[in-house]
Amino acid sequence: MDAAEKLLIAFFVLSAFIALVFFIVARSTRLPVQPQAEASRFGYAIRGRWFIFLLLGLLGTFLASLPFFPYMRTASALQPALRVPVEAWQFLFIMPDHFPVNQRIIFEVKTPDVTHGFGIYAPDGQLLAQTQAMPDYVNYLDVTFHTSGRYFVRCLEFCGMGHPIMQKEITVGEAATASGRSSLAALDSNGVVTHE
Amino acid sequence: MNDLLTDKAAPGRGVMKLYLISGLVVVGLLLLAGLAMRASQAGWLPLPADGFYSLLTLHGAGMIVAMMVCAMGAIWFLTRQQVKMSAKLAVAAWALIMVGVVGVLVATLVGRYGSLYTFLYPLPFRGTWPNWSTGVFLIGLVFVNAGWMIWCCQMLAGVLRAHGGYRGALGWDYVWHSKSFAASERHPPPPESFPAFMVGLDGLIAGMAATLLGVALVVRWIDPQVQIDPLWAKNLTYFWAHTVANLIIYMLAGVIYVALPFATRREYHVSKVFVVAWWTSMTLTLTNYFHHLYMDFAQPEILQYVGQLSSYLSALPVTVVTVFGALMLVWRSGMRWTLGALFFYLGMLGWVVGGIGAEIDASVPFNVHLHNTLWVPAHFHTYLLGGCLLFVLGWVFLLLESRAASTTRKSMSWLISILMFGGMLVFLLSFYVSGAYGVPRRYSIEPAPGPVLSQVAAIGAAVMIVGMLLAGIEAWRLWRSRADLQEGAKEVIHG
Ligand code: HEM
Ligand SMILES: [Cu+2]
Repeated sequence: MDAAEKLLIAFFVLSAFIALVFFIVARSTRLPVQPQAEASRFGYAIRGRWFIFLLLGLLGTFLASLPFFPYMRTASALQPALRVPVEAWQFLFIMPDHFPVNQRIIFEVKTPDVTHGFGIYAPDGQLLAQTQAMPDYVNYLDVTFHTSGRYFVRCLEFCGMGHPIMQKEITVGEAATASGRSSLAALDSNGVVTHE
Repeated sequence: MNDLLTDKAAPGRGVMKLYLISGLVVVGLLLLAGLAMRASQAGWLPLPADGFYSLLTLHGAGMIVAMMVCAMGAIWFLTRQQVKMSAKLAVAAWALIMVGVVGVLVATLVGRYGSLYTFLYPLPFRGTWPNWSTGVFLIGLVFVNAGWMIWCCQMLAGVLRAHGGYRGALGWDYVWHSKSFAASERHPPPPESFPAFMVGLDGLIAGMAATLLGVALVVRWIDPQVQIDPLWAKNLTYFWAHTVANLIIYMLAGVIYVALPFATRREYHVSKVFVVAWWTSMTLTLTNYFHHLYMDFAQPEILQYVGQLSSYLSALPVTVVTVFGALMLVWRSGMRWTLGALFFYLGMLGWVVGGIGAEIDASVPFNVHLHNTLWVPAHFHTYLLGGCLLFVLGWVFLLLESRAASTTRKSMSWLISILMFGGMLVFLLSFYVSGAYGVPRRYSIEPAPGPVLSQVAAIGAAVMIVGMLLAGIEAWRLWRSRADLQEGAKEVIHG
């Protein structure tokens, strides 16, 4: 099962649970009418528990999610990584088009014109990672590609009429093409693009 | 309150009608724009890029404003029952908003302005559309905002006057000094005055942010030398847009507090929990917007944590108090399932389900995979279309039903429900599935599996619109059959 399916199933299960509650309550209107005071007593008893359950659930999920935040810590920024500058322009990406597999890469995403998005799509079509490209700012995206193959970079922030065609194919790993290899070679050890 | 719906002489009916009818007319037209976009993405009715994006700008900005106007009319009417407020001022605010709507229409349809309703700086000044259309669009929004702020001031002043200042309107003593409060035989404000207070206060705060940004952008339009910080502008854009979109829902929650007791013949009680829940919503609605900037890694990091925590916690007041309380009203109440009651009930379901979609997206680790995919329109259409619009339609139907001499035929109710909700389900589902598979939002031409799902969605949307048309015809029939009209006709004949 891929990540998209898991996500959809989680969403459907939660929604179905809510829909079931709504259905049961709706059906109850066929039962003999209950005085409001009685219905409320019953309801308040459930409500207290529902509150505690939901509060703990939300706080627990919040804590559990913290290790998966994508923001780079200073300490981890200092660890060795291939630094790759990316420039997003209306409507293209200026960046190398071939990358090594299992190598930590820090994309330094910039733009000279308007706000863009920088989204990397894996060979199976899943959206792997993204950040924004905003004028006057640099967004650092920390990515390690674990599988080789053809990836796509797509713009994920509306940037004008060419927004939907703003994409670039990149390759990771052995599948390197001749042009791909040369563009990787063009990156010196500091990640600065040296134009030959 | 239970005779409010049937009371023809209730003050403020005219203002409400003006807001509701104008809002719904705009919504109706923009539904068709939505259908056109989906059909275009499906490849059936391909629009050129500038046509698509000006339509998307119009649909987004127009829908938010139109739904806002509907909700404003309803909550204004409810507040008007508690305190005198000037109808003239409310009409003036409405007129300012309508001037703005005309500006948005002209900018998008004539000027092909296409920087979307989020107008992220500096895109409005770097597009293919003429410079004048940018100005007309921005100034149009400034007008909308001016009308909004006047209306918010009026609301806030009204609620404060009705319930004894901030202390009274907030229910402060009711919560903290409940013994002496009860001993002095005072009562907390009625439930619908809490959303009215919230929209007045939070609406003004959001309006001030919008004014700041609006002035900056208009100045930049006049003098291109002026530079704006894009991250600052984005924060303000979303602070405004998020808050206003949320206030639409909260205003309509106020309508639930009146409509459901009417439909179930029960009473909605204000409790301490209820009051505290509204304090929570009032606060969290202002800090939630940070979740729109999760993918701006340049944003101060602490704000990302604030955004997630606050987004999570805002689920509590909604599900523990408002929706739960509404379910308690319905539980074994013997409620009659008229179209009005059904719309309210399913609207609450849409609100919660859309909320689940929102909470998933508001989790940073998921947001990495969902941000700016179709998951975003998926969840907000669930609570704007499948929630807010249903509340508005539900309110209109309850008003009509309560005074009509006839009832809706069972077969007609079923037909309308199946078309509307069946179509809506299909339409929304294809947004969710596309989003989960990473199809980007705001793509006039989508990568796979976008186009196929757009075809499914376009069919669903078309079916839903047919259902809505039938609902419109039924509403017309109910209106024609209203009791006083028939009496009037009799009088004419016999008199
Ligand atoms: C028949 C019903 C509707 C259809 C077919 C429809 C269709 C669409 C489509 C295709 C988009 C663009 C999605 C994309 O990003 O690719 C969109 C965006 C949007 N819609 Fe709707 N919609 C409908 C109803 C509504 C309603 C009732 C509301 C609000 C009350 C609404 C508010 C919005 C907003 C705010 C956007 C975002 C615009 C943006 O991304 O800038 N829509 N809709
Ligand atoms: Cu773009």
